Amino acid sequence: MCHVSVGHVQRAAEQVGIATVGVYVGSFGHIPELMGVARAVITRHPMGRPLGAPGDEERQVEVLRRALALLDEPAPGRVELPHRYRPGTRRAADV
Amino acid sequence: MVDTEVSVEDAEETIEQLRFSFWYGSRSNLNFKFLKDLTDDEFGSFLEELLDGVANAIDDGDPTDVIDVAYRWQVRAYTSHLGDPDNFPHRHRDTPVAALGRPLSEARLALVTSSGHFVEGDDPEPFGEPDLTQAEAEDRIDEFLRSAPELSVIPVDTPAERIRVRHGGYPVQAVVADHQVALPLGHLRRLADEGAIGELAPNAYSFVGASSQVRLRKEVAPRWAQQWRDEGIEAILMVPV
Repeated sequence: MCHVSVGHVQRAAEQVGIATVGVYVGSFGHIPELMGVARAVITRHPMGRPLGAPGDEERQVEVLRRALALLDEPAPGRVELPHRYRPGTRRAADV
Repeated sequence: MVDTEVSVEDAEETIEQLRFSFWYGSRSNLNFKFLKDLTDDEFGSFLEELLDGVANAIDDGDPTDVIDVAYRWQVRAYTSHLGDPDNFPHRHRDTPVAALGRPLSEARLALVTSSGHFVEGDDPEPFGEPDLTQAEAEDRIDEFLRSAPELSVIPVDTPAERIRVRHGGYPVQAVVADHQVALPLGHLRRLADEGAIGELAPNAYSFVGASSQVRLRKEVAPRWAQQWRDEGIEAILMVPV
């Protein structure tokens, strides 16, 4: 549901003149197309780890760079990143 | 709705009840809540593949297969749950597009995420409840889904130790371990210092995406968008979780 929520917010922002890009995990990779979202990067990451694993700064920054690059491109833009999820250096907390 | 409660007298738990028990049930695990959307046969295939992956990891210590099984079935379940795309209730045929008027390296960018982050001492207090726990948020997910979302303001220079997260709709353990998994304040500050971003807006924003979609679409999202425009924000990086 969160991905749909962000779809609504992205559309609203574009409608007032703000350029947006969203980072969607693969499970919800169909949402940008269905909702008419201007720009999206789609990762092969599990739900709850949109930019990468805890402590995987290299992956997190790479996803960010790919997403930000779309803001300079004519929309609509879609990029599916090929990288599989990989474990990070920090164990997820016991919550 | 499936009754996921199995009493001692009624020890014969069905496969369906087992699948549903991971969806806010007796075995609640938001990483695997998608199991309710599989058929019993698919659940059997999932378990078989998962155990093969575990066996491989036992021998070579490589979790790749286990991660891959969990990911592939997650995608399959959520995609099938969607059903016919033509009947998707949030479908839009148009795509509103705002072009950035200048390069991002000169523009003001803000971060917005549906992660449920907030700053210590500034708890949005859903339902008027102070100090709602993660477990309580999961228990009250239906109430979140009927409520309009609240926007939490997170100054981009907030120290990591003051950042909190609570969200009843997704597994939060990874973002608890490292908030930059969904709220990449440090990374964005660095990218702005490098010049990739002209200016980082002084505040990031987070909300609980599990919320009333009607209220979000009709009232809340347009109001937020206007607020951000008034703040001079030209571009937004959105991180749904």
